[in-house]
Amino acid sequence: MSGIIEVDNLTFGYTPRNTVLRDISFAVMPGEFLAIAGPNGAGKTTLLNLLCRTLTPKSGTIRIDSGAVESYGAGALAEKMAVVRQEFVPIFGFSVIETVMMARTRYFGAMGFESKADREIVNRALDVTDTSRFASRPLASLSAGERQRVFIARAIAQDTAILLLDEPTNFLDLKHQVAIFDLLKSAQLNENKTLVAVTHDINLAAQYCDRTLLLGTDGSYRHGQPGEILSAEQIEKVFGVPVFAGQVGRGRFFIPLGKFAKDAEQATNATDGAPQQ
Amino acid sequence: MPDASDRSFFQIEQMAELLTPNKLAVRIALGLFVLGAVMFLCSLIGTESVSLKAVFAGGAKAPAVNPDYEIFVRVRIPRIVLGAIVGAALACSGVVFQALLRNPLADPYILGISSGAGLGAMIAVISGLTWTLFGRSPIAVFAFAGALGTVWLVWLIGRLTGKFHLTGLLLAGVVVNAFFSAVIMFLTSIAEAEQVYATMFWLMGNMMEEDFVVLWTAGGCVVAGTVALFYLGPQLNALSFGEEDARSIGVNTGRTRAAAFAIAAFMTAVAVSISGLIGFVGLIVPHGVRLVLGPDHRQLLPLSAIVGAIFLVVADTIARIIVAPAQLPVGVVTAIIGGPFFLLLLVRYSRSVGWLK
Repeated sequence: MSGIIEVDNLTFGYTPRNTVLRDISFAVMPGEFLAIAGPNGAGKTTLLNLLCRTLTPKSGTIRIDSGAVESYGAGALAEKMAVVRQEFVPIFGFSVIETVMMARTRYFGAMGFESKADREIVNRALDVTDTSRFASRPLASLSAGERQRVFIARAIAQDTAILLLDEPTNFLDLKHQVAIFDLLKSAQLNENKTLVAVTHDINLAAQYCDRTLLLGTDGSYRHGQPGEILSAEQIEKVFGVPVFAGQVGRGRFFIPLGKFAKDAEQATNATDGAPQQ
Repeated sequence: MPDASDRSFFQIEQMAELLTPNKLAVRIALGLFVLGAVMFLCSLIGTESVSLKAVFAGGAKAPAVNPDYEIFVRVRIPRIVLGAIVGAALACSGVVFQALLRNPLADPYILGISSGAGLGAMIAVISGLTWTLFGRSPIAVFAFAGALGTVWLVWLIGRLTGKFHLTGLLLAGVVVNAFFSAVIMFLTSIAEAEQVYATMFWLMGNMMEEDFVVLWTAGGCVVAGTVALFYLGPQLNALSFGEEDARSIGVNTGRTRAAAFAIAAFMTAVAVSISGLIGFVGLIVPHGVRLVLGPDHRQLLPLSAIVGAIFLVVADTIARIIVAPAQLPVGVVTAIIGGPFFLLLLVRYSRSVGWLK
């Protein structure tokens, strides 16, 4: 079975000399949830921008649904994948439903208006993401968590097989982080979406994703199931901080330990594969 | 737990929030009706009182003259139509520049059109040309060419600064504006007083009675431009969320931006070449309409054009009569009545209902 996203020997740098990503190869299977994790500066967002063709690789190939990504026109690519970006500045106060409806821009009629089918798709996306309650409110009046749901709703309304997300839980509190990942998981399972999410949060990645791509700042990377990839040593190596690894039921979790953290000493003693002083 | 019928009821409510073609058509028709009424009323106002009855009697055969008819048809009407054309062009292109630059402070002149047109006008005055082209004076022709040339230059410079060249474009506009203003200053200091006066008078923005030929061509350009921009409305909506975002929902951003930019610049150049520089219309009318009706460009573009036309017709009528028999430059009036009016709107709407109605 071939992946819906296939990346082969991808290399990229912002200047001719520096290289952010080197020789990266991986595939995302249809219906899979991939987390791209790693420290700041490892190139997570860069990789996402390469996947959606905002950036062009130095070398290597990216294939989306078995076509080279650069062979798609702007519109054709938008039929394959939707992108939820991290930074968003709402200007001119569009409402929630207007924002979500924009996903259908490509399908508008000759006069520039949506069809009945578009409305149904948008209504469903609002329902699925639980945003119909505030559909007529302006984006600017929403909390960060609500706004993130709206953009996920827009991505769902775009009706694509693939969803790319850049740090979907940035700036969100615990409850909303979990809510967003629950929403993504349900989109994966119920809508049969393929998800690629960039995240700092290795715990959420471990709990929700089928596969993890762990990028290091030195150009190294590992790709595989969270259970294989995410271990105390591995995280310590990549993130450069000692961690405490614990287990609750089947779920593994990691807690970073600063030098002066209250429990640093104890936890160090309690952990197997403890960080070396 | 809400049952299904409840929910569908709410959804009908929400859908009512979206712009529909019917709603838009009604609003445009209403706007056009008000515009027609305002134009008619303003054509009755003036330093000379005009009897409609005499006007309808038609033009008298020479050598007798029907003064009412002459004033109404040859002076008032052309000037009012001109005001409507210029107001519509400025307001509509103001919307486009605000959307493309994603900057609420943008107006039609922000990318160097004003200084380019000014420089063109200055050169025409100094070189003392006397020919006409399509009934236009050299000042108008040079101003038109100067405006378009400058915008093109700014666009080229902006492109050099990178792929997502919003800031580059803005900076290029500021720098080119400053540079051309300096050249205007230089020419002013070496020109004769009379020439300087002619240029300054033109720059302040003035409505002169124009030939019907000019009105038809300019009016045609502005209507065609507004219609063309309307079709770019959904794409401009998407572009308000940023270039990358618009592209990821399938908008061809490069083509949309280039087309919208070219049309808006052309409309502004047409307006500038027939009326000089009239400030404020292109800045506050789009904001006013947006505050009241929301940011959807499919609605914002046509209605801003209509409201801009109404606004400038009224402002020009005030400019004609307030210090009669002298006349104020209409730019002074737009700023004086536009500023406070806009503040009122801003306070009223942004407090009670946020940015969206």
